Amino acid sequence: MDQKLYKKVLKLLLIIVVTVLFFFPIYWIVTMAFKPFPEWTAAGGKIYWFPNHPTLDNFRAIFSQKLEMSPISGTAIRPIINSLVVSVIGTCIAMVVGIFAAYGISRYKAGGSLPFMLLQLRMFPPIAIIIPIMIMWAFLHMTDTWYGLSLIYGVVTLPFSVWLMKTFFDDIPHELDEAAIVDGCSNIGAFFKVVMPLAKGGIASTALFVFILNWSDFLIALILTDRKWTTIPVHISKLQSALVGALYGPKAALGLIALIPPVFFGILIQKYLVRGLTFGAIKK
Amino acid sequence: MASIRLENVTKRFKNTTAIDNLNLMVADGEFFCILGPPGAGKTTLLRLIVGLEKPDDGTIVIGDEPVNELHPSMRDISMIFQNLALYPDKSVFDNIAFPLRQQKFQEEEIQRKVTEVAKSLKIDWLMEKLPSQLSGGERQRVAIGRAIVREPKAYLMDEPLSNLDALLRLEMRVALKELQTNLKETFVYVTHDQVEALSMGDRIAVLNNGRLQQVDDPATIYRMPKNMFVATILGNPPMNFLQCALKRKNGGISIEHRGFSLRTDEKLLIEMVKGSIEEGKITLGMRPEDVKIYDARPKEDAVQAEVYVTEPLGNETIVDVKIGDDVIKVLTSSDFSGNPGDPIWITINVRKLHLFHGGSHECIYHASNKSDFKMV
Amino acid sequence: MADIVLDKLVKRFGKQTAVDRLSLEINDRQFIAILGPSGCGKTTTMNMISGLLKPDSGSVIFNGKVMNNIPPGKRGVGFMFQNYAVFTYLNVYDNIAFGLKIRKLPPDEIDREVREVARLLQIHHLLSMMASKLSINDMQKVALARSMITKPQIFLLDEPLSNLDAALRNVMRAELKKIQQELGQTTVYVTHDQVEAMSLADKIAVMNFAVLQQYDTPHNIYNHPKNLFVAHFIGSPTINFMNGVYKNGEFVLEDFNRGTISIGGGSRKNFDKQLKGENVVLGVRPEHMKIGERGGDAGNLRAEVVSFEPLGSKTIVYMHPDANPGVILKSTMDSDYKPKIGEVKSLSFEEKNLYLFDRESTDLVFRFGS
Repeated sequence: MDQKLYKKVLKLLLIIVVTVLFFFPIYWIVTMAFKPFPEWTAAGGKIYWFPNHPTLDNFRAIFSQKLEMSPISGTAIRPIINSLVVSVIGTCIAMVVGIFAAYGISRYKAGGSLPFMLLQLRMFPPIAIIIPIMIMWAFLHMTDTWYGLSLIYGVVTLPFSVWLMKTFFDDIPHELDEAAIVDGCSNIGAFFKVVMPLAKGGIASTALFVFILNWSDFLIALILTDRKWTTIPVHISKLQSALVGALYGPKAALGLIALIPPVFFGILIQKYLVRGLTFGAIKK
Repeated sequence: MASIRLENVTKRFKNTTAIDNLNLMVADGEFFCILGPPGAGKTTLLRLIVGLEKPDDGTIVIGDEPVNELHPSMRDISMIFQNLALYPDKSVFDNIAFPLRQQKFQEEEIQRKVTEVAKSLKIDWLMEKLPSQLSGGERQRVAIGRAIVREPKAYLMDEPLSNLDALLRLEMRVALKELQTNLKETFVYVTHDQVEALSMGDRIAVLNNGRLQQVDDPATIYRMPKNMFVATILGNPPMNFLQCALKRKNGGISIEHRGFSLRTDEKLLIEMVKGSIEEGKITLGMRPEDVKIYDARPKEDAVQAEVYVTEPLGNETIVDVKIGDDVIKVLTSSDFSGNPGDPIWITINVRKLHLFHGGSHECIYHASNKSDFKMV
Repeated sequence: MADIVLDKLVKRFGKQTAVDRLSLEINDRQFIAILGPSGCGKTTTMNMISGLLKPDSGSVIFNGKVMNNIPPGKRGVGFMFQNYAVFTYLNVYDNIAFGLKIRKLPPDEIDREVREVARLLQIHHLLSMMASKLSINDMQKVALARSMITKPQIFLLDEPLSNLDAALRNVMRAELKKIQQELGQTTVYVTHDQVEAMSLADKIAVMNFAVLQQYDTPHNIYNHPKNLFVAHFIGSPTINFMNGVYKNGEFVLEDFNRGTISIGGGSRKNFDKQLKGENVVLGVRPEHMKIGERGGDAGNLRAEVVSFEPLGSKTIVYMHPDANPGVILKSTMDSDYKPKIGEVKSLSFEEKNLYLFDRESTDLVFRFGS
């Protein structure tokens, strides 16, 4: 009996620890966003686990025109729009190219071992290649543009979308494509009419994954953008003031706002996520 | 309605030849079975006909048209896959309607045709359901419905009943045969089950290692197999084979086994034999139902033998009989009461035996009512 | 000496009872088959005999000794499973010798035993070959040799022939039976194939839904099945069942338009009292159901030919009775019989070939001609 109780307690402890680890950042952001300046740090000798005097000042700050003595050149509105634009377009590029490539690899073994090599490339830490890329982009006058950033986002997430979509396509029996062809579809017709509808769940989850990768990118956006096309992560990093140091409150406020789109998209595609996982009558 | 012809067709995959210089003719309106063990090339053959594979050599002709370059969607042939390949996210109605929608029929026309087909297959009450909600037999019928609704030139079926339980398989076999009789269309049906081939086919093509062994109606293949492979593939228990020696003796031909020998006139044998009669190794073939067992020596020519093991099946008994060093299976009635080791006598129906060449395994002689062998 | 007694074995998995109070006695040197459809409890039973599973209640007894708490390795049983477990990285000799090497027998004794077993199974010419290069038939013989060589007193086989194609299965069946007869080990053989059970076993234990239906010789199970399930499960083609009502000394068959069979008073008293109600099922095996012959005891039974299977040695004709197209009846006829599909034929059978079942209890009430 002791043995069983001991095991149960241990299990519970483990669950608590993991939960705390996972939710701590979110807790930090949510509480910090509403804390007034004195409560940001423990400099006053006290840690404020919850805002004593919750305020909306931080939100006002990031949307006000000028912050004293800070490198910010405008409100957070532009970065929010920029992030949305480049993340969505980058995701679209990765998904469109990735889906067709993945189908070719899954059904026709296109490219031989190239796809696998592509995945290995992604193992390269982006920081190693970002300078050469910046040089290339500068040469092509693509720095600080929406198309420049979207393009690189599409390219670096392409291996993910190819590999994820390939596994989803592999799960769809190729006999279904063949049945569609025999039933009168062209090869591409079979893809659109039979395979794509079945891969809806896979497409949804891959798109969300890729979107989050793009949305949260800091390094590439930092190097490849200047004033016009900064994204949210870069803007957050600029939220400092020479007077005070890091402006934790506004950082958290913008961070909280940044949480919204991914969560929103996730909820939107939720029904596709679930349906994608319960395929149905495929006799194996 | 169309005939199907394969002329000198060869198909290779990496290092194997799946189909080897095959020539085949399926007549218009025929129920044609392709029978063979797994790996024989049966599925490849179907895929070549429907166009999912391209032959490396040779021509495929449907009706009078060579179709090598024609995309599968344009060949007007329907195919039922082994795992059915029903579209899992589409309802029964949409599954059956799919091929019609590709041909751009009007919606009302589609509605009418699909309902008609569903009624004939007794699945009209399932129209809104998804494949995952259907039983095995119902899914089978949806697959059949999808194939027949477009009224194609020919129907190809790849072991469509192999995943069903015994009772359902029987019902579907009967239903398919009835369907073909009513539609009068060309059916090409692939199976590894010899009972299916025997009971459904107008003609059977026996395939092994990509090569056609024999094409004939079931009765002919059963009674006059061209080689040992074909002889084994039909019949359960399969034909018994005894290694014998063929010798010329006393003006006649003698087929000698350790336990017995059969003598016949050379003249009688020459009339039927393919090729010349050479002395040497020969294989004697006889089916279990063509051998009879006796407790005591019967009046006719008989061989003394021993019971090796008995296999009582209820309605009949298989007796494994030891003659010399060989063991053959004999079908006899269920009241057989011998025990292993018991001496028994067996008679061979000499009008139903076969002789196969010792080396090539080709059949060189089928006995008939004109045959006359004497046991010595 | 190795007899096995199973005493009221019970095994549950969660809420489901897999084996329900199974009691069985197997004598020394007997070959018995546990037969039933998938899920009936046969593999669970065998796992309890072997020791891989512990019964929830009841005992497994070898030679009078209760084995419940003795681990599988110490029970003296040899196994052969569906998926052979032949070591592909060893050659045939080492595969067979494996069990003896573990028992640390002297090498010359091992050599002697291996060669003897190999000769028995006719694989002595393959001893130096790598197991991965063998044909399926030979691999199965190696697996058999490996389990036999430790001379277990009890042999457990779980569908060992199901991976073989039909031709090989036919051959191996006879060989297996011969080997068991020569070696004399008590053998328990689990299968869902009634042909295998009938041809191999001295006695068959038929199971369905965790319950033992009947335990008897193949002959008795075929000719005196205890209930509808056993009658239908054994025999190929399956037995014909006709629903009927017993009234005033007559069977009125519901599936036929004018199907009445009168039963003489002499036979009647055999079952008059046993019948609980008037709803019955009459059973006739296909080999006793004749088409078109006169003189049978069946009244005016007419059926329409639906299909037929010319199997070479015989022809099986499928028909449905004139009043019920939903029922399929089978008749085994000679190989040269060729019916026309759609033809209406008259059916007949002799009274002595009838089985009478109570429709509610499904039990066999009377076997005519017994």
